[in-house]
Amino acid sequence: MNSRPATMAEAAPPPLLGGLPDEIAIWEILVRLPPKDLLRCRAVCRAWRCTTSTRDFLLTHHARQPSLPLSYVKNYGGDLFTLDIISFDHQGGAATPQTVARLRRHILIPRVSCDGLIVFWIECKAGQQLFICNPATRQYGCLPMLFGGPLSAVGMPFGAPRPVAVGMYSHSPTGEYRLLLLQKAEAPDGSSLVYTYALGSSQPPWHLHIEGPNLNELVFSRGPFLFRGSLHWCISNMIIVSDTVAESFRQMRTPVVPNLSDLFEMDGMLGMSSFDDYNDDELIVDIWMMQDYEHEVWAFKYRVEIPYAELTLQFGLFYPRDCVVFTSWVGDVAVLVPFGRWLLQLDVGGKLVASFEDSGGLIGQPYQLKQTLVQHTFFLTLEGYVVNGSPFI
Amino acid sequence: MATREAGKKMIMLKSPDGMEFEVEEAVAMESQTIRKMIEDDCADTAILIPNINSKILSRVIEYCNKHVPTTGATGAAASDTVAPAALAEDLKIWDAEFIKVNRATRFNLIQAASYLNIKGLLDLTSQTTIDTISDNSLEEIRSFLSTKNDYLPEEEQTIRRENQWAFQ
Repeated sequence: MNSRPATMAEAAPPPLLGGLPDEIAIWEILVRLPPKDLLRCRAVCRAWRCTTSTRDFLLTHHARQPSLPLSYVKNYGGDLFTLDIISFDHQGGAATPQTVARLRRHILIPRVSCDGLIVFWIECKAGQQLFICNPATRQYGCLPMLFGGPLSAVGMPFGAPRPVAVGMYSHSPTGEYRLLLLQKAEAPDGSSLVYTYALGSSQPPWHLHIEGPNLNELVFSRGPFLFRGSLHWCISNMIIVSDTVAESFRQMRTPVVPNLSDLFEMDGMLGMSSFDDYNDDELIVDIWMMQDYEHEVWAFKYRVEIPYAELTLQFGLFYPRDCVVFTSWVGDVAVLVPFGRWLLQLDVGGKLVASFEDSGGLIGQPYQLKQTLVQHTFFLTLEGYVVNGSPFI
Repeated sequence: MATREAGKKMIMLKSPDGMEFEVEEAVAMESQTIRKMIEDDCADTAILIPNINSKILSRVIEYCNKHVPTTGATGAAASDTVAPAALAEDLKIWDAEFIKVNRATRFNLIQAASYLNIKGLLDLTSQTTIDTISDNSLEEIRSFLSTKNDYLPEEEQTIRRENQWAFQ
């Protein structure tokens, strides 16, 4: 190992932040920096870089990050995709899109996300394939061939029936990131087989024995929402819950028949939004909160009336099948509505709070980013592993 | 300060420079560290707060006094712990005034808030420094926070390149 010239005082290293004990500078100041600022501050001096690169520091930093909605803008006619997170100003509560990555690929569609990791579906020469990336560390790689071919994902066009990645989670006992795979079985009852696969593992996916709900519908769902260590999928008549430690499945009641529903979290409670049908010029979204998670007790919270006719005049087309996302910051709800090229933020009264141009293509509640700068070793095992290179630009 | 109501338990806090502060138990318990001492019955008489001088301790107490959940002006029928929007707005303005102090005082407040484990005060006092790092150039950060650049120019360039997106 090279030793540096002893130009700096070797006796006692200078404090990280003049006037503060290092302990406080690290665990009360630096760890609170947003990921982008943290990366930038590594160029301040050697000590800042070392301190902000340890695994303990990065894990604590990750744990502090909020889960933020993702928005995704495609440069139509081109091959440029911009990935934004929507962060919230805690003072005024206004949403601000903030670009976390720009990627250049022909077709690139986010399909599954977990923590700061996103699985994309990509159309490439070899066909359709799934890739995983961490926008914060600029790591990118191809998911391996499993069951003799590429994986499929929710919402992907099916050729030959391929196992479908329906969710990703961090398996806390092992620290592994695992993919849940659903394979339509040839058994007479047509129920799906469920597998789990640890990213970076040389072991093939292993079969999970499922007792309980039929999971076939998960391949059409909008992806799981992580709450209290379990994945939650809203399907046509219930919520499917998967415990990420026990890797078991169960069903959960919904307050109403889900209709284009999203799950979200507010004040530590699970929330569900549900579209009501259109009337002449308004779109009704009902918001329910689960007051008692153990006993599955829901309570009606808000009815949001979105004046879409009025908003259409101002902002152009609105496709009701696009997502309407509810995200909370301290004690409140934001309604994010993609409107053509615009992303609108409404309050629960249906009043326009903010509008952002060229920020359409909200990805929807299940796809959130809880940014992480932790170096995940599984990336190194992936085919075509790239850091800081194409498709990132 | 006169005791407003009978039965309000008072606590004595002592700074290492010998000053004593009599505060309501509820106010002192804004500090999770003191709360634990009280709950563990380690606080019979006066609690010595090490490393926090009287000037800083009095500011901390001022903060806790302001932020202790109110039982309402009249003390009646105000079981809500959630402050109404107007009150929250009021607190925000008060906080903004409170934190208008020089860096040395702010750093002392950060240390006090960390030792006494007062989350709100810690959030408030650390945010200014975080904003300094977020909003300024590397040169400015180094100068504001008395940190020396010990990189060789080419090393700094490499780090900038490695984290290019953070500089965009």
